Amino acid sequence: MKNRQPERRRPTTSASRAPVSRRQFLGGSAAAAGGLVLGPSILAACGSDGGSGTALKLARPDKPVTLPSVGDAVAAGKAHEGGTLQILNYVDYLNPDVVARFEETYGVKTAVTTYDTEEGALNKLRSGAFTPDLIIGMTDSVLSRLVAAELLQPLNHSYLSNFGNVIEGLRDPYYDVGAQYTTPYIIYSTGIGYRTDMDVDTSYFESGNGWDILWDPAYSGRLGILDSYRDVIGSVLHRNGEDINTGDQKVLNAALEDLREMSAATNPKIDILAYTEVPAGTRVVNQCWSGDMLLGVWYLPEDASWTELGYWQPDEMVTGNDVFCVARNAERPVLAHEFINFFLDVDNALENFGWTGYQPALEALDAQTLIDWEYVPANLANALITPAQYAKGNRAVALEPDVDARWTDVWAKFTAG
Amino acid sequence: MTGAPTSLKTSDGSRQRGDRGTLWGLFALPGTVWLLVLFVVPFYALVCVAFGDIDPVFRNAVPAWNPLDWSFGTAGEVLGEIFGGSLRKVFLRTISYVVCAVVLSFFVGYPVAYYLARHAGRWRGLLLALMVLPFWVNYLMRMLAWVNLLQVDGWVTRAFSVFGVQVNWLDGQPVTVVLGLVYGYVPFLVLPLYAALERLDGRLLEAARDLGAGPGRTFRLVTIPLSRPGMLGAGVIIALPMFGDYYTNDMLSRSPATEMVGNQVDFYLNATTQPQKGAVLVLVLSALLVVLMSYYLVSTMRMQREIRA
Amino acid sequence: MFLPVAIAVLFSFNGGRSRSVWQGFSLRWWTGEPNASLLHDETLHSALRNSLVLALLTMLVATPIGIALAIGLARWRSRTASGANWLMLVPLVTPEIVMGASLLLVFTNLYTGIPLGRPAQLLGHVTFSISYVVVVARGRLLSIGRDYEEAARDLGASQLQAIRLVLLPLLAPAIFAGFVIVFAMSIDDFVISAFLSSGAGSETVPVRIYSAVRTSSTPALNALASFLVASTLVALALGASVMSWFRRRRGTKESALADLTSVGI
Repeated sequence: MKNRQPERRRPTTSASRAPVSRRQFLGGSAAAAGGLVLGPSILAACGSDGGSGTALKLARPDKPVTLPSVGDAVAAGKAHEGGTLQILNYVDYLNPDVVARFEETYGVKTAVTTYDTEEGALNKLRSGAFTPDLIIGMTDSVLSRLVAAELLQPLNHSYLSNFGNVIEGLRDPYYDVGAQYTTPYIIYSTGIGYRTDMDVDTSYFESGNGWDILWDPAYSGRLGILDSYRDVIGSVLHRNGEDINTGDQKVLNAALEDLREMSAATNPKIDILAYTEVPAGTRVVNQCWSGDMLLGVWYLPEDASWTELGYWQPDEMVTGNDVFCVARNAERPVLAHEFINFFLDVDNALENFGWTGYQPALEALDAQTLIDWEYVPANLANALITPAQYAKGNRAVALEPDVDARWTDVWAKFTAG
Repeated sequence: MTGAPTSLKTSDGSRQRGDRGTLWGLFALPGTVWLLVLFVVPFYALVCVAFGDIDPVFRNAVPAWNPLDWSFGTAGEVLGEIFGGSLRKVFLRTISYVVCAVVLSFFVGYPVAYYLARHAGRWRGLLLALMVLPFWVNYLMRMLAWVNLLQVDGWVTRAFSVFGVQVNWLDGQPVTVVLGLVYGYVPFLVLPLYAALERLDGRLLEAARDLGAGPGRTFRLVTIPLSRPGMLGAGVIIALPMFGDYYTNDMLSRSPATEMVGNQVDFYLNATTQPQKGAVLVLVLSALLVVLMSYYLVSTMRMQREIRA
Repeated sequence: MFLPVAIAVLFSFNGGRSRSVWQGFSLRWWTGEPNASLLHDETLHSALRNSLVLALLTMLVATPIGIALAIGLARWRSRTASGANWLMLVPLVTPEIVMGASLLLVFTNLYTGIPLGRPAQLLGHVTFSISYVVVVARGRLLSIGRDYEEAARDLGASQLQAIRLVLLPLLAPAIFAGFVIVFAMSIDDFVISAFLSSGAGSETVPVRIYSAVRTSSTPALNALASFLVASTLVALALGASVMSWFRRRRGTKESALADLTSVGI
């Protein structure tokens, strides 16, 4: 591993940076299949006898799913195709410098088409509006549908020499046993970002009941929660010691009551702007994703110190990740594999991380390394997820459709005031 | 019309020679077809989604195109929420915000329209242009301007703090939302009000004064009653969009304490797998507003016929 | 009334990053700042481009349809005609959220061949614009009356020729007003554009402002909004001056503002 200091980039302040896309994809991931019409191939892949009564098998950490084998992987040992690699990705989700180096190294070009929500991208892939070679940023909730709609091709791991760098917990993930179609890209968790230099009572975090701080009236008007029903309700459930993927209506109703209490006690702002508002000081406590605080250091005022930001996440964290995958009708599958491999390289991933702020799912990037190399300030060490933590963490998985509907109802009732 | 050549006219002024309806029908055809295809049919689609089914597996709306297939389960659910549940607060709140905003808009807009209509004289053209201008400044920009001023370090907040009053305007305050609505929609009020007031017959006002009424009494007993139809029309014009407004709340407050019906519609349609509920909400809203809408349509048609005659 | 907007425009020239604290005068958000200024930031550009292209296309499609509809409705006498008349008026009183919701649902469930994004947004914009064109043209049509066309027909022209050579030139101010009004309304539109957008690529300026307003984004946002307002005002001024030019040619005394303000009535 080379001990190389990265070229740090001050992010643009465009609101369409990755955190927004993150919200969209987290909010959208378990949600809308709106407008999606699925053909018989999917039902066949599920092994059902047709009819809309059977559901797509939803993967769970304790019930891993082996995705059906659709189509063939590209043959091994071929040279890459050259030309322009078509990538489908979120906005601002790849470091342009690293991409440029890829282009130079392989003598190719890349072109990125962006999407805002997974569901929207899924529809466009099916309709043929999008024809990428490589797809980045999808999560396990659309994965089974992508495979069933025959949009992906299996990976040929002989091209992915760096696959061993992936953290252990994701080399054989529950949503894609055997990593047939996917390689993980980024991992993250949900927790609370806060200011260390203001009157934030950190005893909440030390006692392990960190979520309770969201109900403390002392922070009224200076507090925020995520505009994402899965994350907010999930955190409340977590606080109450319940399953964060529950469908139990009584439990959900109790969560709704708690949320209403929170609203009365602290009048939280509901958005995804923790990464700008906490550094700006307008909020001192904000539920957010791990990447938000890492990104937040760049939004601190010029004279402020990085130590002013802190992050807490519960011991049994709520984690998630997204993936790389290759499209079925990719014209340049080998080149797509080379790209994935390039980003599985630790140095490249590190440089990518320095720009996007989101943590790559690589074993070698543990907290101490990143702090030593000054990618991350020491006070934000626990915004990084260690592979061990990841393996233990809770996952917010795709909900059954009717359960999802009841979750959105709870959210609608909460926001109705 | 001066300068126009004379021609054979029948008593009602319409030319009879070769007056084929089909030609005019053809002219009207593209527009009518467009509106049918892209206005009427979408509304029907809305109804069919609201009364349709939800695919139990994927929760996407399955519209029921045949009225015989309509099912009212979800509609019943939503109505239940409206009359007994969390949506009741939202509807009541929306109605009260709109009423307050319309009343306040009148307090601001009526004097302006009145002055323009009756007293402006020489400067009328210029002042009218100035009044029209906010109408053309992007609504969002006007709200943006207010958000900037009302932020914690904005000028308005700082001005207030000089007097020792610390208000967090953007913090979920109904006052901010209502005043935002007023600022946003007043320009839409002034124009129609001005038009109505301009049409008031000045002689009636003179007559009142000749009969000994002072300006106050004239205003109260003559001007206001005469301008009432115009006021109603203008009030409806701004109330209708206000009911569906969700972006003002989102920009100025975005808190559950000020949630309006539009916000719930936006949520259900754009952020969940329950477009059916969103569709039902839109239908309920339309039903609520249909009274206002038809009032306005009828009075417009009447006015048009008067103008033609 | 204008003060907040004027202040917002002023702040687009702010020297610092805040949109609410004045830090000196500078052009950095318009042209200077390498990544974030209006001149350089690609997302702001694309929003501006989307708004302008959409408005232009809408203008070109809606105005002819609207003028034709106005002419047809003014002359046609039948029960179907009055039905069409009602149909034309209803969009004017329909709240935008109703229109936006129904268009979104129809494009995702029935007219699925039409993708969301610019195509759907264009169709939506034209739909609500047609009625405005009709309202603007109608007053003018009434005041023109039928005499000129009839004179032309007396002189031997066919009905179509009379329309083309006599009515349309007379109607030119209203046609122009129609162009300007459709352009301005399309640029200003928020709800329809937001509901029918397909993501960051088809954002228009109002949608951009909406998503960025509560962030700590820079005065470049003010610059973007100011630019948009300026283009609307320029379009209006152009329209007004062209119409004054028409008036001078024709020698009539009506105020150039009459057509523009008739929309509010």
